[in-house]
This record gives sequence, C-alpha cells and structure tokens, in this order.
Amino acid sequence: MKPPAFLKSLVPCLFLVLAAHGQTTEQAAPARLTILGDVASRLELDADDLAKMPRMTVTIPDPDGTKVAYEGVPLRDILKRAGAPAEKQLRGKALASYILAKAHDGYQVVFTLAEMEPEFADEPIVVADKRDGKPLFGYQGPFRLICPNDKAGARSVRMLESIEFVQLKK
Amino acid sequence: MIGRKHKALLCLASLTVLTDGRTRAGTDATEEYAWHLPKSFPKPYVPADNPMTAAKVELGRFLFYDTRLSGNRMQSCATCHKQELAFSDGRAVAVGSTGQLHPRGAMSLVNVAYSGALTWNNPKMKTLEDQARVPMFGAHPIELGLGEDSGFLTPLRADPKYKALFERSFPGNGDAFTVSNVVKALACFERSIISARSPYDQYHYDRDDSAVSESAKRGEVLFFSQPLSCFRCHGGFNFSDATISARNSARALEFHNNGLPNGDGTFKTPTLRNIAVTAPYMHDGSFKTLEDVLDHYAAGGRGSGHDNPNKDPLIAGFSMTQQDRSDLVAFLQSLTDETVLHDARFSNPW
Repeated sequence: MKPPAFLKSLVPCLFLVLAAHGQTTEQAAPARLTILGDVASRLELDADDLAKMPRMTVTIPDPDGTKVAYEGVPLRDILKRAGAPAEKQLRGKALASYILAKAHDGYQVVFTLAEMEPEFADEPIVVADKRDGKPLFGYQGPFRLICPNDKAGARSVRMLESIEFVQLKK
Repeated sequence: MIGRKHKALLCLASLTVLTDGRTRAGTDATEEYAWHLPKSFPKPYVPADNPMTAAKVELGRFLFYDTRLSGNRMQSCATCHKQELAFSDGRAVAVGSTGQLHPRGAMSLVNVAYSGALTWNNPKMKTLEDQARVPMFGAHPIELGLGEDSGFLTPLRADPKYKALFERSFPGNGDAFTVSNVVKALACFERSIISARSPYDQYHYDRDDSAVSESAKRGEVLFFSQPLSCFRCHGGFNFSDATISARNSARALEFHNNGLPNGDGTFKTPTLRNIAVTAPYMHDGSFKTLEDVLDHYAAGGRGSGHDNPNKDPLIAGFSMTQQDRSDLVAFLQSLTDETVLHDARFSNPW
C-alpha cells in the first residue's frame, strides 16, 4: 500500500529537521569520556575518575602568546588502563595502530599510538580538564586534548567525547 | 630670598604641574602608559618609535575630538568613531567633510591596538601612525579633508591647552607641533581604547556563571563548534584572526572573501567585540542586523557572491535552527562592553 501523498511530503521535511539538528551543537559535551575500539575493556571515565589518576600540568602558549597551564591525565595512561599496547608491547604490528579522538561537535583527529610514548615524542599528550587551575567548561570542556608537540592547535580537540583505539594489524 | 607670597605661588605652580603632569590613573605623564589589562589580554604591540605614554594618550584624546582637524571645521575623528557605538558611526558607509560618501563603512576602533592590519583590506597598512594620515589627508575619498600643509596646526599652536599638552608629550624635541607628533598622539589614544570587560569576559575569564544568559552560553558553544566554525576567522581573545600583540607582532594575517555580491576583494576579519552596537554590518553596511549576518553565513554567501570562485572555502554554509540563531545573537550581544562605551578616559574632553 502506498503512503498518502501528505506523508510523502512530510518525510523530506522530517529528514531536513533531523539533519539540521544533527549538524549543530546545542549543548556543551557531557562530562564523560569513552575509550573504545580494539581495547581489552571499554572505559567510561568521568571527572572523578580522571581526578584519581596520575595527573600532570603542561604550560603552552595560546595563539596570542599568553602562557596557559592545562592540567589533566596523560592520554597514554588512559589508553594503558584500557589495555592498549604500551612501552615494550609497542613494536611490530602494534605500531600499525591509531587513535581517533572525537569531539561532541563531530570534529575528529587521528594520532598514531607511537605518539603516546616518550621514545617517539618529547612530551605527553594530555586529556586536560583544568585550565589555569579552573575546570574547563563551555566550548572547551569538560575535557580537551593538549598536544604540546604540535606546532598547530588543530589536534587539541575541544569538547572531547571519545577516544577510539584502532589496531590495523591484529 | 623668596617672600611668603612667592612661596605660595610656587606651591600653586607645582600643584598645577602636578595636576597637569599626572594622568587620570595617577602616574607621571611621561611614564610608560599603564594598560591595566586582565590576564587574558596580552600587551598590545607598540611601534618602537612611538612608545605609549600617558601624556600622548591624553593629547591624542583632545586631537581625536577636535573639529579643527577637518576641512569644514565641523568634523573630527569622533564624527565617524563615536564612543557610544564602539567608535563606529552607525552608517552603512562613512561620509567625509565634503559630503562625499565613502565606498566602505567606518570601522570600530575598539581594540584596534591588537589589529595587525588597518582599514578593511590593506595588508600593508600596519600602524595607526600611518593610518591616521589617511583620514586626515586622503583625497580618494576625502575624509577629514585636511591638507598636510594647509596650516591646520596654526590654531592648535595658538591654543594654550595644546601648548601644554604638546610640550609634555614631546619634551625636548624642538617644535612639538608637527604632523608626525599629531599622528603619534592620535595613535596612542586609539591604542588605549581597550575593551576587555564585557559580560562574556566575566563569564569566560572570571568564571561568573551569572554574567551571561544560558542562551549566550549555548551560542558560545555553537560559535566555536566544528559545523559553524565561526571561530576559524573570529577566534582568540579578540575574536579576529587579524590580531597581533607584543608577543606575536609578526603573525601572518589572512584576508577573506566573504561571499558578498561583487565581492572580488578580500577583507580583514574585524573584531566581534561590541558588535551588537556597530550595525550596519560588513564592509558595505549591507546587513542591518546580526541575524542578517548569521543568515548570510549560514547560506554560504549571497547572490553572485555565493558562487564566487574567490569566496573563502570557510564560508561553506551551515544549518541553523531558529533557537541556534537566537543563541548566537545572545552570545554576540554578550560581547558588548558597556564600560568602554561610557569610560570617561575615552570621552570628549572639550
């Protein structure tokens, strides 16, 4: 049975409305970070969980040259907790692994797993939840990545929502 | 021996000097200007040959509001840069002292100290000292309508107020009444017009959650979101990618074709601070409201500008609900700094 004509005309309208909502960000990101993908155990971390992990502070200049101190947990430690290869395990096939960081607004960037290790990069990538001692909020928070090794800020994902670990060769 | 009467006069004289020689902030007039910036604002870039002093800022303020600096003796810098309109003029395009309509609108001067390029699209116009000569002496179009050798300094030289102000601003340099010193003082005053105390600043930097509405908070998130990407041009503390500072004075600036009809040129990204009081918008004043501007960018350009091959790829369009639109406007309104619109330090001293 064919749907009535008025229903047919409603379908594209409904699609347009859903598409519009799907393309905009109406609220700041939830205070929960998901680590998923090829990890031993999927992790859901909130602000309290991050507060209990080993923490560090990195001071970097913002685009205007003002030095800003971000505090949080090294991404390497979070991945390690989820069971991703680290240290001596990071060789051979494990090096063909990447991390997809996703933001609440749909922004995505990629890191190689090797970038987490001090043997490959000078400074650790940090999942920050504080800026100059105050919790991140609004479009910056509640979690964001800080990438001290990067000259550009494009991978310092704001409103960080999930970290997906992908192992290409298993 | 100095008599009692003379002693009293000397005291009075020294008091006068003290009064004249101090800025409103209470520092000596020849000392470096005290910016009083919040932590979130870097110190502006200042050319080495025109250091900021309280004296030059004060002199520049008198000059800025002086109608003797126009061909028709009726206009001053403040005619096109009104404090209550964040130092813009409320017109689509500016009007010169001969009545000539200009091709573009007068830009806001708020936070112009952080602007890496001046005017709408001249990447070579980098200092306020150079720029000040354009409205004063420019003939295409005629703005203030002065001639550099027209004798406009003569009445200033005869004014006792200026005699004190010029001598204090440029001590020991022979004749202080020069065009070079006029533009230096104007530049110093313009650099002092800093807007850093908007409700947004109280919310974002001082963490006062009550400073802005929930709608403005949602608008901020939208503004900085990937789908809208407003921040890619209007980013940073000054909401402009043409921003420089003392720490970052050599920053490469980008100019953008904004998708307007007949818009073959590229334009500097103006600051969004106080944008709610600087209508109409864009270089040609073609949008009356902030909603119009948002609709323009959501559509990815207007008319022939939409498909202009020179249009900046960042102006690709986006989806926006009515609520999003209201939230974005609320966010932009939260950038209005009432203090800079009424601050006596920037008002007409005459």
